[in-house]
Amino acid sequence: MSVDANLAATAAQAPADKAGKLKMSGNGVNVFYGDKQALFDVDLNIYKNQVISLIGPSGCGKSTFLRCLNRMNDTIDVCKVTGKIVLDEQDIYDKNIDVVELRARVGMVFQKPNPFPKSIYENVAYGPRIHGMTRSKDELDDLVTSSLRRAGLWEEVKDRLDQPGTGLSGGQQQRLCIARAIATQPEVLLMDEPCSALDPIATAIIEELIDELRANFTIVIVTHSMQQAARVSQKTAFFHLGKLIEEGPTDQIFTNPINKKTQDYITGRIG
Amino acid sequence: MATPDNEHIVTSYEDELTSLTRAISEMGGMVEVAITNATQALIRVDHELAKQTANGDKRVDDMQRLIDEQAVSMIARRQPMAGDLRHIVSAIHVANDLERIGDIAKNLSRRTLHIDSQRVSKQLYNGVRHMSDLSLQQVKRALDAFTARDSKIAIDVCRRDDEVDSLYISLFREFLTYMMEDPRNITDCTHLLFCAKNLERAGDHATNIAEAAYYLETGGNLYNDIESGKVSLG
Amino acid sequence: MQGWFFVLILVLTAGALFYVGRSRAVSAVGGDSTLLHSKPGFHGAFVMICGIVPAVLVFFTWLLFSRYLTNAFVASQLGADFANLATIEQQALMRNMRSFANRTDLSALGAIEVNAVEAYRSFVANTALALQAVVAVLVIVGSWFAVRAISKDLRARQIVEKTVMVVLIAASGVAILTTLGIVLSLIFESIHFFQKVNFLDFLFGTHWSPQSAFEGVGEEATGRNSEVFGAIPVFAGTLLITAIAILVAAPIGLMSAIYLSDYASPKLRATAKPILEVLAGIPTVVYGFFAALTVAPFFRNTGEAVGISVSSESALAAGLVMGIMIIPFVSSLSDDVINAVPQSLRDGSAGLGATKSETIRRVILPAALPGIVSALMLAISRAIGETMIVVMAAGLSANMTVNPLEAVTTVTVQIVTLLVGDQEFDSAKTLAAFALGLVLFCVTLLLNVIALRVIQKYREQYD
Repeated sequence: MSVDANLAATAAQAPADKAGKLKMSGNGVNVFYGDKQALFDVDLNIYKNQVISLIGPSGCGKSTFLRCLNRMNDTIDVCKVTGKIVLDEQDIYDKNIDVVELRARVGMVFQKPNPFPKSIYENVAYGPRIHGMTRSKDELDDLVTSSLRRAGLWEEVKDRLDQPGTGLSGGQQQRLCIARAIATQPEVLLMDEPCSALDPIATAIIEELIDELRANFTIVIVTHSMQQAARVSQKTAFFHLGKLIEEGPTDQIFTNPINKKTQDYITGRIG
Repeated sequence: MATPDNEHIVTSYEDELTSLTRAISEMGGMVEVAITNATQALIRVDHELAKQTANGDKRVDDMQRLIDEQAVSMIARRQPMAGDLRHIVSAIHVANDLERIGDIAKNLSRRTLHIDSQRVSKQLYNGVRHMSDLSLQQVKRALDAFTARDSKIAIDVCRRDDEVDSLYISLFREFLTYMMEDPRNITDCTHLLFCAKNLERAGDHATNIAEAAYYLETGGNLYNDIESGKVSLG
Repeated sequence: MQGWFFVLILVLTAGALFYVGRSRAVSAVGGDSTLLHSKPGFHGAFVMICGIVPAVLVFFTWLLFSRYLTNAFVASQLGADFANLATIEQQALMRNMRSFANRTDLSALGAIEVNAVEAYRSFVANTALALQAVVAVLVIVGSWFAVRAISKDLRARQIVEKTVMVVLIAASGVAILTTLGIVLSLIFESIHFFQKVNFLDFLFGTHWSPQSAFEGVGEEATGRNSEVFGAIPVFAGTLLITAIAILVAAPIGLMSAIYLSDYASPKLRATAKPILEVLAGIPTVVYGFFAALTVAPFFRNTGEAVGISVSSESALAAGLVMGIMIIPFVSSLSDDVINAVPQSLRDGSAGLGATKSETIRRVILPAALPGIVSALMLAISRAIGETMIVVMAAGLSANMTVNPLEAVTTVTVQIVTLLVGDQEFDSAKTLAAFALGLVLFCVTLLLNVIALRVIQKYREQYD
């Protein structure tokens, strides 16, 4: 697809919303777990170099939507996704799409830090090795170093790369997982409640990191902490009972939400 | 539309929000009484009432401090969002404006003490009485708009601020005429002119309260919305 | 009859004491049980413990030592007549005395035996009475003190809890002491053996034919026996068969575990796993005749068909069937440990774009390694200790060979053959069984220790 067509499509799909370039979008996304429908007709645009946070009560479908974006739901047999999810003009549920390549482009960081029981180095090198991204050991070393640097972990671990990643503190482990995800050089980074298992200081470090990463990645973050959503994201989307209730600039969502349900949820009333 | 009618999950939070609203109403009541008394004292040249009113301003100041503290503590502890955030922030604004109106009542009372009751002709007071009635009504309506979260009343208050302004200008001319007619009137007329100016300021504060009420209800800025044509004053 | 009567009395007394303590505690505070430091039930239990435990302890102590006391009493009654007898005759006398104690017709006995029986009868009658009296007094005194001690502030709960702890310690003590006893008996019998046969010759000798062992004592016997009790061929056989079994069980078990945990649907897993575990429930003797009657002839016939000579009792057949037997150990345990690897690791790997097999190879298996190793160790221990299959399928001849097509024998099989039949229990032949058992025990113990170490070292790595 040519650059012009790309721009034209972006302009068409992103009206007066934000000046950024459209990176991913969901159109009429429905998700079923067996007979149960988990997501209803979700339309959501995700713009380049922006942080968008998905908020909502437990079981509202925000994580489900997140996992649709890199087809992590494929691992669940009973899960069925309809509708269209587009990454740079390509339907990621198209038959020709290689899931392995998709997940390299759309990285993921999970709720609980989950470093592999390997050394710090091997943890970061895991993705590049699987995708055969480097030609030599030196190249791999460079990639590991730069990933750790971008994740803000390099200074803390540079002397003990051969030690197990599980020996790090919770916040460091989560940054290691971010470094691991960055190492595959993704374009979009999905974060599923990345700070829910961390203390406030570690959380602040990760939030600072998210803000820095925004320059190079598009970030979608699911969070239960509304303060966190307010702090880190430029756009916020509120999910409730499997439906996208409201989305908009974070400022507006948190000071003047349009929808009554959004208002009730973010002010701590039963929604 | 964004009126929160659901209860908070945390009842103490709900209680605090209610108590904040109640404090604003109470303070509003105090200020209304103060400005009514101040104008009464001015018009009837009642020095006793004027003294009382001037001394009563301390209670209004204390009330404002109390509301500020309560609001700040809620922001720190509850991290309010959306409607609650607007509620608390506008409460701070309204309390500030009410305190200023309270100051105006105090100024009016102090000025009353300097006016010599024997010399002033009753004729001079007609315009001031009219002015004070109008300002008082503006303050009351603005407070109604805030407590009832009614943006229509708020818009109305803003619209009627022009009336207060034009009344002030005509009063200004009137007093100028009196002063030119008889230089002995100059002292009293100057005092009364300042009183009129104060009352006009009270009207401005009423407009501020109305704006806060509008922000609380809609989350928007009333003047921006007027400029962008969302709201028409006509 | 008398024993059951005793138990009945004991239970009734215990119940009564419990009731007495309980009601006494309630009445001590005027019926308001909330005033008590401990709940009334604890007071009841307290009285019961004070009444019953000392009595029962005395009773069991008596049971332990009564035999010796009786013998001593009878001996003292008989005096010099008894002391003049040989040890064996003394033992025979005591046996006869006991068997005739309940008979009225003593005409078949000699004078000394009649005297012994009479002395025995009077002693038993007197001590039984005395014992009953002592027990009764203990119950009464103990419970009386306990009842006296009951008050509002009595910390009955602490006393009862402490007693419970002591009982639990005693229970685990029994298990430990039993193990210790087994080990000690093995060691003592083995020491007897190593007095007849040189330790190093036994451990490193390459010739095993205990049937040609030389009975008797002296230098010559020791020399002869050292030649025929070389344990290497036996252990080599064990090793060969175990190796074959593991070669069969490890890949099959591990692969089926991986399939069950990561590929099979939950429904299939729920059905397949129990079925696989049924394999573990089949009696080994059934495996044995399966090996001897089905597998071994199959190998022999196949071997004949391709011109290889296969012995009709081959290590291969035994090892193969043993491997099948231990598959469930490997698969079921491995399946559990693979399942215990957190889903988050699988998600993390999949989220980086790894395929299922890459995830298993690079993340799951390394993470589950300690568990898998311990599963294999357990399977090996099981295989080493297995007897029945080898007896039936691998034969008895102690060949020292690495050819799995020949007959071999294993440690356990040799132990069985050495102890079966009429043997003196102090000949080198039978004692060799204990020595083999000891070495086998040490080997399995070592394996278990290694397995534990491996688990400890790598555990918690993914937590």
